[in-house]
Amino acid sequence: MSIALIALWFASPLFAQHRLYTTGITSKGWVVGTKLQPSGLFLRMGKGWHRLGFLHPQIQTLDYDPRDPRRIYLAAGNGCIRSDDGGKSWRILTGWEMTELQDVSVDRNQPDHVWIALPDGVAVSRDAGKSWSRVNLGVARRFIQSIRVDRSQPGRVLAGGELGVLISEDAGASWNRSSPELRLVTHLEQSPHDAKRWLATTQEQGAYQSTDGGRSWQPLPGVPKGTLYNASFDPHGENRMALAGWGVGVVVSEDGGKSWRDGAQGLPSRAVWRAVFDPDQAGALWVSVHEEAAFLSPDAGRSWRRAGLEGSILYDFIFVPETAP
Amino acid sequence: MILFTVLFASLVAPAWADGGDRERQFRERVRAVIEHHARSDSGYAAVAARLALKRDAAWASRQLRQLLKEPTGDMFWMFPVTAIAYLDHGQLSPEARQALRESWRTYMPYRGDTENHWLLYYTCLYLMSQLYPNQPGETWYTGKSSAENQKEAEEWIRHWMDLTTTIGQGEYDCTHYLGVYALPLSYLYAWSNDPDLRERARKMLDWVIADYAVENLNGIYAGAHARTDDVQVLEKWRGVSSDLGWLWFGLGYPLPGYSAYGFFYAVASAYLPPELIHRIATDRSRPYLHREQKRTRHRWRFTDIRNAPVFKTTYVTKDYVVGSDQGGVLQPVQQHSWDVTWDVEDPRGVQNTIFSLHPYSSTYELQMYFTPMPDFLIESVVRSKKSYDSPDKFLGGSPYEEVTQELDTIIALYQIPPGTRFPHINGFFSKDLRDLREDASGWIFARGGRTYLAYRPLAPYEWRPLREGGKRLFSPYLKNGTIVQAAAQDEFRSFDEFCDKIRNLPLQVRLDPVPSVRFRTLRGKEMNVSYGAGRPVSNGRLFEGPFLNSLVGSKRLTLTHGGEQMVLDLR
Repeated sequence: MSIALIALWFASPLFAQHRLYTTGITSKGWVVGTKLQPSGLFLRMGKGWHRLGFLHPQIQTLDYDPRDPRRIYLAAGNGCIRSDDGGKSWRILTGWEMTELQDVSVDRNQPDHVWIALPDGVAVSRDAGKSWSRVNLGVARRFIQSIRVDRSQPGRVLAGGELGVLISEDAGASWNRSSPELRLVTHLEQSPHDAKRWLATTQEQGAYQSTDGGRSWQPLPGVPKGTLYNASFDPHGENRMALAGWGVGVVVSEDGGKSWRDGAQGLPSRAVWRAVFDPDQAGALWVSVHEEAAFLSPDAGRSWRRAGLEGSILYDFIFVPETAP
Repeated sequence: MILFTVLFASLVAPAWADGGDRERQFRERVRAVIEHHARSDSGYAAVAARLALKRDAAWASRQLRQLLKEPTGDMFWMFPVTAIAYLDHGQLSPEARQALRESWRTYMPYRGDTENHWLLYYTCLYLMSQLYPNQPGETWYTGKSSAENQKEAEEWIRHWMDLTTTIGQGEYDCTHYLGVYALPLSYLYAWSNDPDLRERARKMLDWVIADYAVENLNGIYAGAHARTDDVQVLEKWRGVSSDLGWLWFGLGYPLPGYSAYGFFYAVASAYLPPELIHRIATDRSRPYLHREQKRTRHRWRFTDIRNAPVFKTTYVTKDYVVGSDQGGVLQPVQQHSWDVTWDVEDPRGVQNTIFSLHPYSSTYELQMYFTPMPDFLIESVVRSKKSYDSPDKFLGGSPYEEVTQELDTIIALYQIPPGTRFPHINGFFSKDLRDLREDASGWIFARGGRTYLAYRPLAPYEWRPLREGGKRLFSPYLKNGTIVQAAAQDEFRSFDEFCDKIRNLPLQVRLDPVPSVRFRTLRGKEMNVSYGAGRPVSNGRLFEGPFLNSLVGSKRLTLTHGGEQMVLDLR
């Protein structure tokens, strides 16, 4: 088999190595207490989506256990929810003390350690969700929107929130702010190519890049104004990345963030909740357009097609390996 | 002296209905509410009513199975279904009972994001887990066992009780949500097997009901509210609180069709509040000043204080109530900071209130209290709270409003930063005001019911008509303010005399550098108020007045009336 054929095999969705989940709500017309349209957790199957588990209006995202990727943790309004069968059956792990989860991250080097971002801080479980403890961030402003465990070092945790980026090098025992003071860090993302490289998006203060593992941050030039909701690295291209946001739509960089091109041409609006590159298709980019649908671009944002879940807000697209490595 | 006071009070106290009459009349109202819902031919309330009356269980079973084919409504689904489970007593068919139990495995209600959502959610989860003990996690939507569910729910319920009795209720004094607090407490009092929790629920019921009783005017919940709505803020009667005031005390008028909250309260404990609270609710023989400390809803962002204190002042007479909080953003939506509410014989359809506000809306405010991302927040709120982003609205708090009250006088000052959306003041002038006069002195005089009103705008204004009658005072000046003085008609020989007295009250107004007022009120109080001159601080009292008294942190509320005393001790 030629190298080209091997590359094609890996790039083809027919031989996808990941399951694609999305989390969100079909929100048009919904307020708490009224009938909820299909919402919660969805799995991509063929060219459609299959809803898994319960209807739930607020599942922000999920992460998985690398030892068994069918074990997933959901960051939900009702708490941190674990499923051991890929999303079909659920158990709420947290109690009343923790609500309206914003994010969840499993430590790749010690997968029983699960970190959650809360509107009032950070909590960690060190036994796969059986018990939880809050960590002391050392600050009064504790709204945390995004949390990531550094895959290169167990117990090294980055939390993005109201004050900026907080880092713990000692499994949550102590924290320091490494970014400038920012109104709200909305998302943190570690490069799949270089573990030292991170992106942070913010509310109306642009995007920041770190090349030293999150210890220092520099603003990315040329990023449009507006609330940025997330950043994504393309696993197939070291210098390709995308930013999504409200009013911004999607912007794509092919040169490691030095310049950005508009990737929202052809989308019905620039109110975009998420943009995530597909690890199984080179250049493929998934986005969620506010109360429109999921959209898929095969060419890194140059053209788009609708990809289901009409009328939805999708908070995240998450690619989970089919099998443990 | 104390003895004399007690004796005097007993001599002048009105002739209350004796206990037997009060009980009988209450049971008649309860019966009327249940019978009304039993006549309905669909819905959970109809099922619950029939079960409560032990009537037509076969129909109730069929209807319940039909409804449970597609559960919806989250915590608002949980409360009728829980009541039905407890009212069953073997009446439902096995299939219907099984469908009910199964729905708690297959449907996950959202826990919501407010105190009222959570009290409903956890009360129902507690009671259902109690009803089906020793069952494994696979049989509950939570994935937790009955014991785990019950423990979690009980912990939160007790936590809420502790918070409320130490630093005050978060969603305090709501015209609608009063029902959402009374209902779960009624459930716990009726159905909890734990004697301690049951007793605490009864005390909390008394606490919440007394909190309403002391600030009601013939059934209408008056004064400042954490939350009300676009209709109830104007037509003050039209709240669930009026429904409950009628049910508990026979005051005023129930809502058309009786609210679901009153109904489910009735089919659960049908708890009759003690005579002492009844007296507090109904005795308006003498004016009184009442103060409270509450707390804000949870603040997630932009502040170091999770629950800031709210200071309420309410002056109650038989003819009107003047009530306020300190102003500012104390709730993200539906806050009502101050007004005068006047009594009318039949308040249905009557807009018996006057007030002003700065119509404020912002993503900043919503992000402070809600967790979602910013850009969709205002639109998502407007989908259910229609006026939130309207410049014409009469509902909501503003960070640019400061309110001071002395008895029946209110001074509201506004300093709106340039560039603020909606840079103006809205004053509400009801269709039901009479003899409205724009006086050359700068005062606007009017009558509402048996109440005389003097309203002083501090900056020029114009009138904008309101669709349902009445008019809006529109004042597009950033440095602004309102003074309102209320008085009873029977204090004066004529309306003209009232107007004369107001004109002669010493008043100095400055708008620069900040709005400031020096005013001697009709009651002889000197008010010297400047915007930003200092915010109120706690005096350590959760309740303070002739009827209710409690210290912050004490978990004890002392109720007093006519020389009698009752203590609610939740320590």
